[in-house]
Amino acid sequence: MLKMTHLSKVYRTEVVETYALRDFNIDVKEGEFVAVTGPSGSGKTTFLTIAGLLETFSGGEYHLDGIEVSNLNDNARSKIRNEKIGFIFQAFNLIPDLNVFDNIEVPLRYRGMKAAERKQRIMDSLERVGLASRAKHYPAELSGGQQQRVAIARALAGSPRLLLADEPTGNLDTQMARSVLELLEDIHREGATIVMVTHDPELAARAQRNVHIIDGQVVDLSEDPRFHTVHAEHTGTTA
Amino acid sequence: MLHIKPIVVALKRHKAGTVLIALQIALTLAIVCNALFIIQQRIGRLSRPTGMVESNLLAIQNRWVGVDDNATGPLIKSDLQALRQLAGVEDAISTNSFPLRGGGWSMGVRHDPDAKKPVSSAAIYAVDDHALSTMGAKLIAGRNFRSDEIVWVEQKAYAASPQIIITKALSDKLYPNGSALGKTVYITDTARPSTVIGIVEHLQVPWSGTWSDSFSDCVVLVPTQLTGNFGSYLIRSKPGQLAAITATAPRLLIKNNRLRTFSRDRGVRTFETVRAQAYKSDRGIALLMGVVCAMLLAITAAGIVGLTSFWVGQRRRQIGVRRALGATRHDILGYFLTENLLIGIAGVVIGALLAIGINLWMVTQFEMARLSMTYVAAGVVALLLLGQGAVLAPALRASRVSPVEATRSV
Repeated sequence: MLKMTHLSKVYRTEVVETYALRDFNIDVKEGEFVAVTGPSGSGKTTFLTIAGLLETFSGGEYHLDGIEVSNLNDNARSKIRNEKIGFIFQAFNLIPDLNVFDNIEVPLRYRGMKAAERKQRIMDSLERVGLASRAKHYPAELSGGQQQRVAIARALAGSPRLLLADEPTGNLDTQMARSVLELLEDIHREGATIVMVTHDPELAARAQRNVHIIDGQVVDLSEDPRFHTVHAEHTGTTA
Repeated sequence: MLHIKPIVVALKRHKAGTVLIALQIALTLAIVCNALFIIQQRIGRLSRPTGMVESNLLAIQNRWVGVDDNATGPLIKSDLQALRQLAGVEDAISTNSFPLRGGGWSMGVRHDPDAKKPVSSAAIYAVDDHALSTMGAKLIAGRNFRSDEIVWVEQKAYAASPQIIITKALSDKLYPNGSALGKTVYITDTARPSTVIGIVEHLQVPWSGTWSDSFSDCVVLVPTQLTGNFGSYLIRSKPGQLAAITATAPRLLIKNNRLRTFSRDRGVRTFETVRAQAYKSDRGIALLMGVVCAMLLAITAAGIVGLTSFWVGQRRRQIGVRRALGATRHDILGYFLTENLLIGIAGVVIGALLAIGINLWMVTQFEMARLSMTYVAAGVVALLLLGQGAVLAPALRASRVSPVEATRSV
């Protein structure tokens, strides 16, 4: 479903080159629920933005659902984002001027879908996240957890092949975070491929597989001495 | 692809900015339509023909000094004789006024001396039998005055002349279904009839203001030479001789009799100067209104650019989210252009109604002409294009917002 091979992302200025990702390799199979973890600045978000075709990369290969995306133009990348990828952002990223229904409709309109089908999909996805009664509410009228559920409904409405979640519970309290995570687990059980970036070990533990990024590279947790330090610190604080 | 409904929904959440820009567009359209209409009318006035051979005409405004009003007749005769013999002069007349002079007599013309209201007002030019050849006015019916018909009277003693020549415009007003030639009319309210002995194709009244628009081509030539201490000479040069006689004619008059003055700005004028001075205020108003229109359009365009730039900056993250959800650059560009078009359409609909309303008010208050719908239609198109042009730069900027903006922290 998602395969990156020797991928790199370099930010260049006049005086310095900074590698956000270096020789980055990952292979996410269809139907997997993968948590991507790592310390701040490790490259998690860069990985997610490249995986979601929000940003281009500097080198290597990236196949998404069998398509090599490195040479695609902006329109083709927009089309793939619209049809194959569902985004769930930490800050929900709902459009404040639009109500719940209209927010979920945004990607479906860009797909050129007929009104009747759009309405059906929107109501189905709202049912799915348990917010069918809030279709006419504006984001500001909803709690954080409800807003994130609307964002998930927006991501699901387009029936994406891949769901990318960036710290989906980062802005939620524990109870809301738990319900959102349970929703993601339900969605995964129904067959969706989910890649979730998080720095919360508890959240990561709920995923099928964890991928750890340090300094822009995927590392094997059992062999990396840096992990042992981080892990030991973590264990120490939770013990 | 247009997404009108969500754009309208979003605009409803930003009422203040939307309404302000729509009103600005509406006011601009209303003012610019009417202003351009007035400019067009003013410019139209500038090029109205006088019915004379203007390129060869010199006007000299003469004021006798220290001469009794009744004694000016022989002096005028002497001046005319000298002017008509001057090298380069085709012909010359003495007259109380002439087209675009600025001042003159207007009198009512009636079929019946007892009628309360005249059929029309008309300008009176007191001239002699040299008037048609001097002015270059074209006689289209009847005859010219004979020299024996010319009477010399003091200005205050003027009474209606038994023979008159009128313009075709006045003839058509007096007798819409026929010609006035040979008919009897009454000038002012005197009971002395005047017979129309000739009709000239066209002559303009002395005034250029809008108040005389209703009779701007209605002129009566009377075979009368007025004596008094104030009058004008209209001199027609031979082709190519105007510059020469502009220099020689005043000198000749001074040499003929020194008891006179020519005023500095209106004493000796070619007709080109006469016309320029007559329409100075029209040109000024047209220029002023043009500047006002340009400023209004610039302010409106700046307002649109400002508001859209502000909205683009404010919605940068939202644009990123739309891009992340699959919007192409073209979709984002289309969003802002459509948004502006919707505001523009609301503005021009209100503006068109306002333009017509303002014009109707001016029609009733200032006897202005009715605004042509062509101006409204052209204004609507121009304002919509201006809006789309103004929004293009910020909309292009918006379309270049990267989808990665969606992941930026607040």
